[in-house]
Amino acid sequence: MANLQPSRRRFLGGLGAAGTAALLSGCVTSTSSGKSSSKGNVTLQSNLSAPQAKTAMEDIVAAYAKKGSGKASLNTVAAETFRTQLPTYLTSANPPDVYTWYPGSVADAYAKKNLLLDLDEVWNSSHDLKRYSKAQNKLCTSSAGKKVFVPATYYWWGMFYRKSNFAKWGVRELPKSWDDFLDLCDKLKSKGIAPIGLGAGGNTPWVASAWFDYLDIRINGAQYHRELLAGKHRFDDPEVRKVFDRWQEVHRYFDPNGTALAFQDATTALLNGKTGMMLIGTFFADSAPKNALDDIDFFRFPIIDAKVPLAEEAPVDGYFASARTGRREQVYDLMRYLATVEAQETYIKGSSGTVLPCNPDAKDAGTALVKKGRAHVASATEITQFFNRDSSDALQPTADTALTKFLAKPQQIGSILTDWQRDAEKIWNA
Amino acid sequence: MAVLTAPERKSPARTPAGGKRARGPRRTPPLVLAFVLVPLLAESVWVFWPALQGFYLALTKWDGVSTPQFVGLDNFREMANDDVFRSAAAHTVLWLVVFGGLSAVLGLAAALLLQQERRGVGFYRAALFLPVVFSLVATALVWQAIYQPDGVLNRLLDAVGLGSLQHPWLADQDTALYAVIVPALWRQIGYVMVLYLAGLKGIDPALYEAAKVDGASAWQRFRHVTLPQLRSVNAVVLSVIIIDSLRSFDVVWSLTRGGPYHSSELLSTYMYSTAFQSLRLGYGSALAVVIFVLAFGVICSYLVRAFREAD
Repeated sequence: MANLQPSRRRFLGGLGAAGTAALLSGCVTSTSSGKSSSKGNVTLQSNLSAPQAKTAMEDIVAAYAKKGSGKASLNTVAAETFRTQLPTYLTSANPPDVYTWYPGSVADAYAKKNLLLDLDEVWNSSHDLKRYSKAQNKLCTSSAGKKVFVPATYYWWGMFYRKSNFAKWGVRELPKSWDDFLDLCDKLKSKGIAPIGLGAGGNTPWVASAWFDYLDIRINGAQYHRELLAGKHRFDDPEVRKVFDRWQEVHRYFDPNGTALAFQDATTALLNGKTGMMLIGTFFADSAPKNALDDIDFFRFPIIDAKVPLAEEAPVDGYFASARTGRREQVYDLMRYLATVEAQETYIKGSSGTVLPCNPDAKDAGTALVKKGRAHVASATEITQFFNRDSSDALQPTADTALTKFLAKPQQIGSILTDWQRDAEKIWNA
Repeated sequence: MAVLTAPERKSPARTPAGGKRARGPRRTPPLVLAFVLVPLLAESVWVFWPALQGFYLALTKWDGVSTPQFVGLDNFREMANDDVFRSAAAHTVLWLVVFGGLSAVLGLAAALLLQQERRGVGFYRAALFLPVVFSLVATALVWQAIYQPDGVLNRLLDAVGLGSLQHPWLADQDTALYAVIVPALWRQIGYVMVLYLAGLKGIDPALYEAAKVDGASAWQRFRHVTLPQLRSVNAVVLSVIIIDSLRSFDVVWSLTRGGPYHSSELLSTYMYSTAFQSLRLGYGSALAVVIFVLAFGVICSYLVRAFREAD
């Protein structure tokens, strides 16, 4: 034993010295500036891991290969892993080239750190992108004025219900104003139904943010909402308090299990007639049985203040690319393809078909629901994305904590908002 | 820890032949050196190095993208005034006491009950040990179904006339933490039982016979023969329980993610959500350092005492 000692000690000593030296030089976390190799397929990192969406992405990649101008290899990662790993992907020395993600402030946060590839070239050369709406143009432009994103599809949020159930309960007129809405809630409650389903339990507490978003854009307007999420206002301001005053008026109509069920289970409760309606995005249809889809309809979140410009939540999904890619030309080519009618129709055909294409010439799934959804979004003067997309993924958990607490203890709203502001400041200052 | 002692443990295996020793005490067979150095090198790349990075990151402000900013002890200062950290620490202590205490007591009870070789005892042992085999995430999924508002537990309560006790177990701040401890306990008891069974097997039956001859009651035999004889196993069980309590993460994360509003937050889940959801990796690393110090401190002090007693 004794004769091993010196060499081990020397070795450990050397290790320690090497470690200290590296620490001092700061190479622990320094961002490397390598480029990925310029040969091989363009890598497309996708978070669309639901079975239908995954197949649809595979179809797109196959169709792109058939076109012959280039090849892409798809790498599908579980959504939660993708979200937590995205900063790591983008800062690694040899990053994947193209990513599925969201435009707006989420993309801009990365663009500000010079992690996203400048796509001006794609937007200027693609005949498809030239025809995209002005709103989408704006959404894909970074604060530095560069295009960093290519949009592909969007979907909408609304107050969804089951037609046959509403008929059974004698609901003839859909509410337009806040008072109509309260009347409807009263009526449903008198029949022993929980009027409003939520689905903010399990692993989907973020669903509750839809209520915050909608009440805020109805009361304070989309502009204020965006500024609030960007840290230009405070969560303990009287404007935000007004949002919760309204929420308190409907609090007793919420399903008491609203924070215990994930949105998939809340969908089941809605379809079974245990709850009356639910503020949700069209993705919920993925967890509904196919035969129930024709029986589903939605109405607009009630208008509270007619003076506030009409805004709707219609999140856009699409693609951005790493600034460190070594396959710039191939990425441009793939991006141009992803903006085409062919690519977007391929995706809609392969997936559950409740999303709308961003390309104005591409056809949607053509169902009555989708047509109504398209008109619903088109009639809005302002479009918001969703809480996390209009702020950052890091701010979302602060909202989850505040809103679940509000739903459990509405009378403590004062201290909840103070805590929310404190937590949000930590994120904004991080 | 284990890593640091590994070379020492390996060293007795080196039994050089007499002839070799004559060549000088500094001489080590290259194969042995390789056995020691190669794993050490792997460990240092995959364990020591990231650990050192973690200590460094604890002193920085880092969002995972930009270059970390050195902020000294600011993260630890923030921790002193962080309510969530305080409640997470309190929950971790509660977890340690309830989860650790119950799994030790119940594990020992199960081991005592099942130590005799009777018919069918193998079945019961296997049944108790089986949960250890499942991944905790799978376990959590099963328990999530049990705890659902219209899940097994609530239906059972309703069926036996206790419908008034029905609860959204995981969504209520008063029950969430306990509802999460139960599945963890369900798994841990089997593990602790196996450790104690091994310990009980090692006790000399002659001791019990002698105690019986002296007229000791069953309780006295347990108190004065079994427990003292299990001392070495106790050390292992205690270390296992403390480490498992402090690293308990998977079951909490899968069931509640520390919610509703931090009411089932442990240090481990708080560390994860701070680092990877809020992207405050500096503060998250500082939390990790605290967890490390706690685990290391408790276990070291216990082991030092235990070994001193053994000498």
